[in-house]
Amino acid sequence: MMKMPGQILRQMKRPTPNLHIFAVLAAGISLCVCAGGAQAAGVPIPHGTVELVAENQWIAPGQESTLGLHFQLEKGWHIYWVNPGDSGEPPRVTWQLPAGLTAGALQWPAPQRMQTSATIVDFGYHDSVLLLVPLRASAALPGRQPVKIGAEVRVLVCREMCIPGKAQVTLTLPVQTNPPAPNPAMQKLFADARKSLPGPAPTGWKFSVEEGKDTFLLRVDTHEQVTQAFFFPLEESQIDNAAPQKLDVMATGGAKGFRLSLRKSEQLVKRLTRLKGVLALPAGPSYLVDVPITPGAGK
Amino acid sequence: MKRSTICLVVAALALIVAPLLVWAAKVGEPAPDFTGTSSTGKTIHLADYRGKFVVLEWHNNGCPYVKKHYNSGNMQKLQKEWTAKGVVWLTIISSAPGKQGYVTAAEQNDYMAKMDATPTAALLDPTGVIGHLYDAKTSPQMVVIDPKGVVIYDGAIDDRPTANPADIEGATNYLNLALEQAMAGTPVATPTTRPYGCSVKYPDSTH
Repeated sequence: MMKMPGQILRQMKRPTPNLHIFAVLAAGISLCVCAGGAQAAGVPIPHGTVELVAENQWIAPGQESTLGLHFQLEKGWHIYWVNPGDSGEPPRVTWQLPAGLTAGALQWPAPQRMQTSATIVDFGYHDSVLLLVPLRASAALPGRQPVKIGAEVRVLVCREMCIPGKAQVTLTLPVQTNPPAPNPAMQKLFADARKSLPGPAPTGWKFSVEEGKDTFLLRVDTHEQVTQAFFFPLEESQIDNAAPQKLDVMATGGAKGFRLSLRKSEQLVKRLTRLKGVLALPAGPSYLVDVPITPGAGK
Repeated sequence: MKRSTICLVVAALALIVAPLLVWAAKVGEPAPDFTGTSSTGKTIHLADYRGKFVVLEWHNNGCPYVKKHYNSGNMQKLQKEWTAKGVVWLTIISSAPGKQGYVTAAEQNDYMAKMDATPTAALLDPTGVIGHLYDAKTSPQMVVIDPKGVVIYDGAIDDRPTANPADIEGATNYLNLALEQAMAGTPVATPTTRPYGCSVKYPDSTH
């Protein structure tokens, strides 16, 4: 889901606002008539809404399931990825969970690259995004009463200016021992979100990183032809977000694949031993990267 | 403007700005000299302050992260404390006309009077020249220059990157640490961090 600047600008000027409103209304109506479990409507945030939703219709003790924080934004507004880039702030969630339920770390779909200005690049989402939440229910989940799950969500919503918001979302779900049935009204939302999660690279792909004086060289050995890619660093202050990432196709000496040159951040002061992030290809797939860094021969 | 034209403009600006970054400020290196006009009409040369500590504070009065530090009085308290110790404090506004944070000299003077902000001077930088010289990315962003003219700190004001004023108390204030450590003749333990806040609204800013 890499976006080149032209695509980002085109997305900002997306036509047919009526279709957008219709889609939001339709989603809202379909959510209200869903089977099982009381679901509150989206709670207002600046220029959008946020809603806590569940993939399944009930929770089963001893089982894992998935919740989602569904952000829907007015045209042109965006929120930020876990690493927001040069400016901005990611959403922060404080869970209010009853005994017997634990929430895992948020799972973030691959972000978009936003060229805020020539020297400022951020990472985030326009229009809408579902952040996935792994939920574990203890086998000793008390009783058969419905459980009320809450969260305080702090989120920065920006366009040419930024507005911080705070929302309280809740979701009440029944507890049943039989295996949970998916909520048909939620199926597409969760399926689409899963498709946009960065995944493991295809078998046969090999990653390595060589450190130079001012750059990290990400080398990807693959027989797939890749001519465009963008690397989103998982953590701040490692890579210069605004610097162009030069891609060189490898086609000599039996090597096949590409190398991506990543300029080090000015804020990188300590030695980095691993490079973690998301490698996004323009056609859509994005891959999790977590590679040890080897010092370069020329350093 | 057509999309293709916008793309060309952004690309052209990137080509114009990119070489500037070769001379952009880096921690441990001499602070790039600049001349600016203050909100009181004075011409300010950074080089005139050689021999003193200088703080550069990037500012945008509409940004929630700046409001966090101003509405709480935190930034004004820091300005008073450090200027009383002989530090030169320059508030810099690099917002382009028509963008958030842009102010005329009169508006900036009114704002400072209303907020009881007392920097040594507030520099109006609407073309973003000074901002780009220091590669300022956010407001607030803090730069500290030592009496030898070397950048000794560049980054966030503290370690709580939120817009919540409740996060000021108990935060590690990197500006204070840099000045205290340098004034004591010891190395600055944290010379650079990711600054947090709203993007600086340069002329080509789209978000």
